[in-house]
Amino acid sequence: MSTHTEHQASQGPEPLDVNDPKLTRFDIVREGARRDDIEIVHYEPQVLPGTKAERRLTRVVAGFFLITGLAATAFLAIYIWWPWQYEAGRGGDKFYTPLLGFTLGVALLAVGFGILTWGKKLLPKEVSIQDRHEGQVDSEGRTITGQTMLYMADELGVKRRPLLGISLLAGLAPVAAVAAAPLVGGLISQPHKNNQMFTTGFAAAEGGQRIRLVREDGRPIRPADISSGGQLTVFPGIDHGVSNRHADSPTLLIHLRDSDAQESRRANEKVGHGDYMWGNYAAFSKICTHAGCPASLYEQQTNRLLCPCHQSQFLITDNARPVFGPASRRLPQLPIEVDSEGFFVAKSDYTETVGPDFWERP
Amino acid sequence: MTSDNDRRRGLLARLRERPAARSRGRRRLGAAVRLIAALMLAGGAYTVFAPGAQAQDNPQLTGAAAEGKALFDVSCVTCHGRNAQGVEGRGPSLIGVGAASVEFQVSSGRMPLARQEAQAHRKPPVFNDEQTRQLAQYIQELGGGPVVPEGDDLREDGNIAAGGELFRINCSQCHAFGGGGGALSSGKFAPSLHPATDRQIYAAMLSGPQNMPVFGDNQLRPEQKADIIAYIQETLKHDQDPGGFNLGRYGPSTEGLAIFLVGIVALVFASLWIAGKS
Amino acid sequence: MKRRKFDLAATPGKAAVGVDDRFAVATPLRKLLNKVFPDHWSFLLGEIALFSFVVLLLTGVFLTFFFEPAMTEVVYDGSYAPLQGTPMSAAYASSLDISFDVRGGLVMRQMHHWAALLFMAAIVVHMLRVFFTGAFRKPRETNWIIGSLLFWVGFLAGFTGYSLPDDGLSGTGLRIASAIMLSIPVIGSWVTSSVFGGEFPGTIIISRFFIAHVLLIPGLLVALISVHLGLVFKQKHTQWPGPGRTNNNVVGERMFPRYALKQGGFFMVVFGVIALMGGLFQINPIWLFGPYEAWVVSAASQPDWYVMFLDGSTRLMPAWEIPIPIGDGYVIPPLFWPTVVLPGILVGLSTMYPFLEARHLKDRKSHNLLERPRDAPARTAVGAMAVSFYIVLTLSGANDVIADKFQISLNAMTWAGRIGLLVVPPLAYYVTYRLCLGLQQHDREVLAHGVETGIIRRMPDGRFVEVHQPLSASNGHADGHGQLDYVGWVVPKKMNRLGALGPAIRGFFYPIEKPVEAPVSPGHPPVEARPEREEIGSGESRR
Repeated sequence: MSTHTEHQASQGPEPLDVNDPKLTRFDIVREGARRDDIEIVHYEPQVLPGTKAERRLTRVVAGFFLITGLAATAFLAIYIWWPWQYEAGRGGDKFYTPLLGFTLGVALLAVGFGILTWGKKLLPKEVSIQDRHEGQVDSEGRTITGQTMLYMADELGVKRRPLLGISLLAGLAPVAAVAAAPLVGGLISQPHKNNQMFTTGFAAAEGGQRIRLVREDGRPIRPADISSGGQLTVFPGIDHGVSNRHADSPTLLIHLRDSDAQESRRANEKVGHGDYMWGNYAAFSKICTHAGCPASLYEQQTNRLLCPCHQSQFLITDNARPVFGPASRRLPQLPIEVDSEGFFVAKSDYTETVGPDFWERP
Repeated sequence: MTSDNDRRRGLLARLRERPAARSRGRRRLGAAVRLIAALMLAGGAYTVFAPGAQAQDNPQLTGAAAEGKALFDVSCVTCHGRNAQGVEGRGPSLIGVGAASVEFQVSSGRMPLARQEAQAHRKPPVFNDEQTRQLAQYIQELGGGPVVPEGDDLREDGNIAAGGELFRINCSQCHAFGGGGGALSSGKFAPSLHPATDRQIYAAMLSGPQNMPVFGDNQLRPEQKADIIAYIQETLKHDQDPGGFNLGRYGPSTEGLAIFLVGIVALVFASLWIAGKS
Repeated sequence: MKRRKFDLAATPGKAAVGVDDRFAVATPLRKLLNKVFPDHWSFLLGEIALFSFVVLLLTGVFLTFFFEPAMTEVVYDGSYAPLQGTPMSAAYASSLDISFDVRGGLVMRQMHHWAALLFMAAIVVHMLRVFFTGAFRKPRETNWIIGSLLFWVGFLAGFTGYSLPDDGLSGTGLRIASAIMLSIPVIGSWVTSSVFGGEFPGTIIISRFFIAHVLLIPGLLVALISVHLGLVFKQKHTQWPGPGRTNNNVVGERMFPRYALKQGGFFMVVFGVIALMGGLFQINPIWLFGPYEAWVVSAASQPDWYVMFLDGSTRLMPAWEIPIPIGDGYVIPPLFWPTVVLPGILVGLSTMYPFLEARHLKDRKSHNLLERPRDAPARTAVGAMAVSFYIVLTLSGANDVIADKFQISLNAMTWAGRIGLLVVPPLAYYVTYRLCLGLQQHDREVLAHGVETGIIRRMPDGRFVEVHQPLSASNGHADGHGQLDYVGWVVPKKMNRLGALGPAIRGFFYPIEKPVEAPVSPGHPPVEARPEREEIGSGESRR
C-alpha cells in the first residue's frame, strides 16, 4: 500500500473536461476528488471479479445477513410465544430476557459484521491524500471581513452616540433578569421554614405531649421488646412518622449490655446528657451526620455503628463519637424515658441538629 | 447434608421424650416464657462475667446433655473452660447463651474455632447434627437461653412480601440487598446468607452471634422470623435472576467492571479488526 | 393507445437533476462524499460513545412510554410477588412494571443502563486516546473542552437517570447528593431546599430529574455532540505520522463508500454488544432494593462506576471540619472538599490542560500529526498520574466490596486508599517517564544498529555476536550502514515486520490462494531492507 505515495495533490494537471466522452467513470470520480484537493494515489481491488475469493467472500457476507434474518425471526418468536410473566420461586421467565438480548445481539452483530466484511474485504483498497490548507491563511478574506464588521459598527454609530449604547444596556439588563426571575423565583424555597432543619418528628406536639417511639408498623415499644445486645429502628409516633416525610427522624434504639451501658452513662454525663438514657437503653439518630445515609450497621460486641455509604464509624458507648472515616460530628442522641403505660417516649426533640452538616448548623 | 435422616430420627426421639404433645400455641407461649426467663438469666450471666462466676457444680443432666458434656469436655473445654464458664482471653462463658447459639455456631462450622482472628468463618461442621443437638442440650441445661423451635422448615406460611420489608429494615444494612454479606469495621464482616439453613438463620436472629445484634422474639415475633426466612430462602436464593447473569449481585462495582472487561474490550477488538490492514 | 414512454432506469437521474435544480447540492454533496478520513483503530473509540448515545435515545424513548415520574404513594399490586402490598412511589412502581409487566421491558431497561455505562466508559477511553496522542493541541483545544464537558454532562445524565426509579439504592444516592449540596458554604441549605422543593426528599425531585433527564440534558448532549462532530469535520481528523503523511494533508480513505460502510457496520456491532449485555448480564436489579425509605440501606451502597471516584474521595477524606467562630458560629463540613471542590478542580484542570501545556512548551504551532506517547514523556507521565489518581479513587469507591470479598480489613482499605492517593500518582509519573525514555532509546538503537535477527555468529577470536539486520543501506560508515532518523512512527523491531516471513496464507478454513514460496530459512543471510523505508518522513520534520 505504501508503495504509492507520490504526493501531487494541489499542483496536479489542468482540470479535465468532464463532458469528454472518452473519460471513464473512474476518471470523472478522480477529477471530482482532485477538485476537492484529494489525490487518489492508490486504488486496488482486493478481489478480482469472478475469482474464487470473490465468490467465497460474497457467500460469507450473505451468510451474515441470513444469520441476522434467522436471529431476528427467533427474537420475534420468543417475544411472542415464550412464557414471560414472573412467578415467585419458579422463575419460568428466567430465560426470557436473556434470550431476547441474545437473539437481538446476534442479529445486530451479524448485520454489523456482514456490512463490515463487505466494506473491508470486497471494496477496493484505497489511499487518498487530501490537502488540509493548513497554514495558508486567507489574509485577504480576513481583511475584508474585519473591515466589514468595523464598517457596520461605524454605521451603528455607538461610538458617536454613546447614549444609545448605555440606554440599550440599561434596557436589556432588566430583560435578562426578567427571563431568569420566574425560574429562580419559582424554584427558590426557604430552607428554614418551620425551623425544619433543626427539628424532627420527635418535637413535642402543641400542649407538650411527648412523642412515643414506634416501630415501622406503628406499634409503640416496651423495654422488654428489645433483647440485650439488640437494636431496633424506631420512628416518631405521629401522622406519617414512618415515612419519607420525616426523613430525618428514624432513630436507632439500642439495648446495651450492663457494662456497656455503664460506660455509656458515664460518657453521657461528661457532655451533660446524664438523663438521656433510660436504663440500659439509648437512642441515637440513624441519619449519619456525614452524608445522611442510615448509619445502622450496629456491632453489638464492639458497640460500633458503621455507615455503609462512606464507612464512618461511631462509638455508641462514647456518645456515638466518630472514631473512623469522614464523619466529623457525633450522632445526636435522643433523650428517652418510659411513660406511665410502659412505652418508650422521647423526653424532648433531639438537642443537636440531625442529619448532614451545613453552613449555619451550630 | 447426608445426615438429614439422623436429624429427623433425633427429633423424633426428642418428641417421644416429651411427656405429651402440646398445642402449637401453648408451646409458643411456653417458649416465650422460657425465653424471657432465659434472657434474664443471660443478662445476669453477663454481669457476672468475671472469673468468680459459679455455675451449678453438679447439675442434673439428661441423657443427651450428658453426651453433650462428654463432647464438650473433649473439644470445647480448652477455650470455654470447665462447665462452660469461659477462659479469660480465650473464649467467653457460655452460661445462658442457649441452645440457639450453640446450634448456630457448631452447625455452621464456626465452632470449634480454627484460629483466633477478627471473626469466625463458616467451615464444614466438625460435629454431626446429633452431636450438635447434644452439645446444645448440654449448654441449655447448664444455663438456659434461647432455643430454636423444632423442625427443618421454619418458613411455613411465611409471607415473602412482609419478610422483604422486614429484611430491608433489619438485615440488609449488613447482609446487603442480595443477602451476599458485607464488610464491617476492622476486618469483621456480615457473612453471606446463601449457605445458611432455616434453622441457622433463626438461631442467628435469636442469639446474635458475634457482632450481630440480637433479634429476640419480642422484637421479631416467630411468625415475622418465618417471613424473613421465607424471603431469604425463596426470593433471594430460589428466585432466579430474570435479567440474566447477576454478576454476583455486588451492585454497581461489578457492573462497572463488566462494562470495561466485556463491553470496552469487545469493542476495542472490533475496532482493531475494522481498522486493521487485511 | 398512445402512452408516454416511461424509462425506469432514467428516473433516479431525473430526480437527482430535479433536486439539484432546486437546492444546488451537487458540489457540496461531492465534497462530502469525497472527504478523506484517516484509518486507525484508536480513532473509532469516540464512535463507541456516539453510537451508544444513539442506543440511549432509542431505548430511552421506549422507557418514557411506561415510566411515571411521580412520587405519589401507591400500593404495589404488580406481578412481582415479594413486593406486593408494599407502599411505594409511583415512579418505583412503574419501574417495576417496566421490569415485570411490560413485555420485553426488562431487556430495554437493561440495555438502556448498559448503554449509559458504555457511553461514559467510551468517553473516558476516547479522552485518554486524545490526551496521550496529543490530539488536543492547537487547533483542537475547543473540541477538547467540549469533550470534557460531554463527560460532565454525561455524568449528570447518568446520575439523574440512576435516581429516577426511586429504589432503595438510588434514593440513598439522592440523599448523599442532597448532603453534598448542603455542604456548600453559605448557600448550601438554600440550594438543597430549592432543588428538592423543601426538605429532603420532598415530593417533586423525581419529576424535576425526569424533565432534566429526558429533555434538558439530552438536548445539551445533542448540541454538544453536534458541535464536537462538526468541528472534527471542519478541522479534519488528526493522523499518525507515517509514509506520505504531513502536517498539511490527510491520508486515508474517502468517506464513501468504504469508510461509511465500516462506520455503519461498527454502529451495528456496538448496538449488538449492548443488546447482548442487556440480555445476558443483569444490571441494577431494583426489585431487590425495595422502595426508597430514609431508614433503609444496604451494605455495599455504590453509585455507578463513573460516579464512584467521587464516592471514593468522600470515603478517603479525613474528618476535617472547619468551624468559623463568627456570630452563632458557622461550619464547612468535610463533605465539601471531596465532592464540590475536587470535581471543580478536575473540571478546571482537564479543560484548561491544552492551554497549560502550550504555555509551558511555548508552542503556538498547529499540530495535525499525532505524537506517540513515548515521544512526549512529560505529558504521558502527567496522564499516567491522573489515571492512577482516578483509579485509586474509583477503587476506594468500592473499598467495602473489595474488603469483604478479599477479606481485608475495611479500615485498612481506607488507609491504603489515603496513602495510595498521595503515593501512587507521583510514582506513576516517575515510572511512566522512565518507561517513555527507555522506549525512545530502544527505537533509536534499532534505527542505528538494526533489528535483532536471533542469529549468533562466532567470531574467529571466539567471541559470539548477534547479527543485526540494518534498516538502511550502507552509506560508507565504519559499521557498514547508515543511521535513520526517528520520525515519530513505529520502528520495526522484529524480522517478520521486515518481510522475513512469507505473507500469511489467506482463508479461514482452507487457503484461498496458493501459498507463496517457502519463507526465508534461518540459515539465510540477512534480507535486503525494503527500499521504501527510506521514504518515511513526517512533514513536520521536513519543514
